[in-house]
Amino acid sequence: MDSARRLGRAQIVGVLAQLAVSTVLLGGIYALIAVGLTLIFGIMRVVNFAHGEYLMLGMYLAFWAFTLWGLDPYVVLLPAVPIFFGIGLLTYLLVMKGVIHASHNVQIFTTVGLSTALQNVALVAWTGDFRFVRPWHSSKVLGLLGTAFNLSQIVAFAIAVTLTVALFAFMKWTHTGRVMRATAQDRDAATLMGIDTDRVYRITFALGIAAVGVAGVLVSPLYSVYPTAGLQFVLLAYVVVVLGGLGDMVGALLGSVIVAGVEVVGSYFIGSAWKEILYFMLFIGVLVFRPAGLFGQRGAESLGV
Amino acid sequence: MGVLRERAGAVAFFAAAAAAPLLVRDNFFLDSLVLILMWGALSAAWNVAGGYAGQVSIGHASFFGIGAYAAALVSTRFDQSPWIGMLAGVVVSIAAGAVIGYLSNRLKGPYFALATIAFSQVLLILASRWRGFTSGSEGIPVPYRPGLWTLGLGHFAWAYVALAVAVLFYLVEVWLERSRFGYQLAGVREDEDAAEALGIASRRLKVVAVTLSAALTSVCGTLWAQYIGFVDPFYVFSVDLSIRFALNAIIGGLGSALGPFLGSLLITSLETALRAQFSGVKTGFTGIYLIIYGVVLILVVRFVPEGLTGLAARLRARAARA
Repeated sequence: MDSARRLGRAQIVGVLAQLAVSTVLLGGIYALIAVGLTLIFGIMRVVNFAHGEYLMLGMYLAFWAFTLWGLDPYVVLLPAVPIFFGIGLLTYLLVMKGVIHASHNVQIFTTVGLSTALQNVALVAWTGDFRFVRPWHSSKVLGLLGTAFNLSQIVAFAIAVTLTVALFAFMKWTHTGRVMRATAQDRDAATLMGIDTDRVYRITFALGIAAVGVAGVLVSPLYSVYPTAGLQFVLLAYVVVVLGGLGDMVGALLGSVIVAGVEVVGSYFIGSAWKEILYFMLFIGVLVFRPAGLFGQRGAESLGV
Repeated sequence: MGVLRERAGAVAFFAAAAAAPLLVRDNFFLDSLVLILMWGALSAAWNVAGGYAGQVSIGHASFFGIGAYAAALVSTRFDQSPWIGMLAGVVVSIAAGAVIGYLSNRLKGPYFALATIAFSQVLLILASRWRGFTSGSEGIPVPYRPGLWTLGLGHFAWAYVALAVAVLFYLVEVWLERSRFGYQLAGVREDEDAAEALGIASRRLKVVAVTLSAALTSVCGTLWAQYIGFVDPFYVFSVDLSIRFALNAIIGGLGSALGPFLGSLLITSLETALRAQFSGVKTGFTGIYLIIYGVVLILVVRFVPEGLTGLAARLRARAARA
């Protein structure tokens, strides 16, 4: 009787530890996805509805590199940074540059159109089949604090956190980062101070896309790869970003952990089939009651229009 | 002057649509006509919220799906007429539309668009996972029972049902342009603070506009489900579908009554032509026209944000000056 109760308690501790570590691991990865979205919004005041498509492209990059050349996704990470920075630059010049000062509606439909086009380029080029990247580390199980995780998850978390911290450091301590923050605070004043805002937007967009593209490479061993894979993640990233306050990078980190927690605990108690409904309800709830985010500035939600 | 020309265009458009089935009795042609009118009507319904009220939704597939599911469930589970299902769908959509309309009071621009996407995703999850009630991700085949009361019609009759709905929705848009309600709505869209200062109850107006738009969308959802004969949750609640409603209206001209129908004429014909062109390539087809959609959307909002009707007016003005 007594030992049974103690076993029960040990199990509860085990489950709690597993849930907590899962939350942190997942939260780290979500942070890297969300931080690019919030960066682009904070500085350019554009919600990038095509953000998830770059994640999807990152996943395909990892898939093809693995399938064709047997390259490990972690090796692909290195070229992925400049590749996606370049793709971001190109997208900015071809698509975003022209609508940066346009109305919200024009911006929404521009990025929505971009999203539709990219998804379907992937569909036509690589079919709608679900693909998998399964390097050796995705099936290597590690014990951590009495819990079990595969190695890919842990490495993905570590790299995601490193990159997010690097991005923070860049924003905080480099000259370019300061110029970007100045532009975020006041576009017009920044222009008057001689800041080349077009250059700032170019770098911002390219950085945001690089972050999410790299995130795509990172998560490729953990999730299946298909043309609309980005949608699920990006919806999640919206939740994260709105929770943290659109444009608020630290808020995005906290938001990531909250969303990951809801997802992990929700899947444990009500099953993974219904977990999405939880965070969409959370999303709508936050939009209605705290539209500027849990920690955001008031009034941010009605900016412009 | 501009309005007269627009009305004359509408009369010509709908008269041509009414005459066409009498002249060409080809099922492929009639099918295209039904689709052009139905997509046009759907975009007109979207336009009520997105164009006239300025509440840009990317989740209007929610109401379309509610209408489609309501009719399919009512006819398969309760063995009733889809017209009763249409009514049920409208009632549910009015309730859902009021919720979305309420959100539109609190959220603007991208925030509102995000909330509408989230709403349609919640409905998608419900419809695809609640197996006991909706049959889950397999979808529901809608039984074909001949007769107007059961909406089991031939292509010829469908053309006129679609035409009736299209004309009705067009008239709703015209009413929005001519009525006190419509003028107030335009005031709120252009400058909410100024409208409020003039004593216009902007919040209530927006809720009514979004709710009306939801109800109209739901009616089309029901008709579409009966016409196609199958309800697939991943289609009826998809983001692509919501974008399509907006696309026709934007290409035609936001907040113009005939615009959505012109946009639909262009886009639906393009799709039909591409479908014929790529009929051999089965998997590739869907992707190809959606790539074109995406690119067209980007180009139109960038270079002709006022749409076809606005472009026509601009060209006429230039011609008049020259």
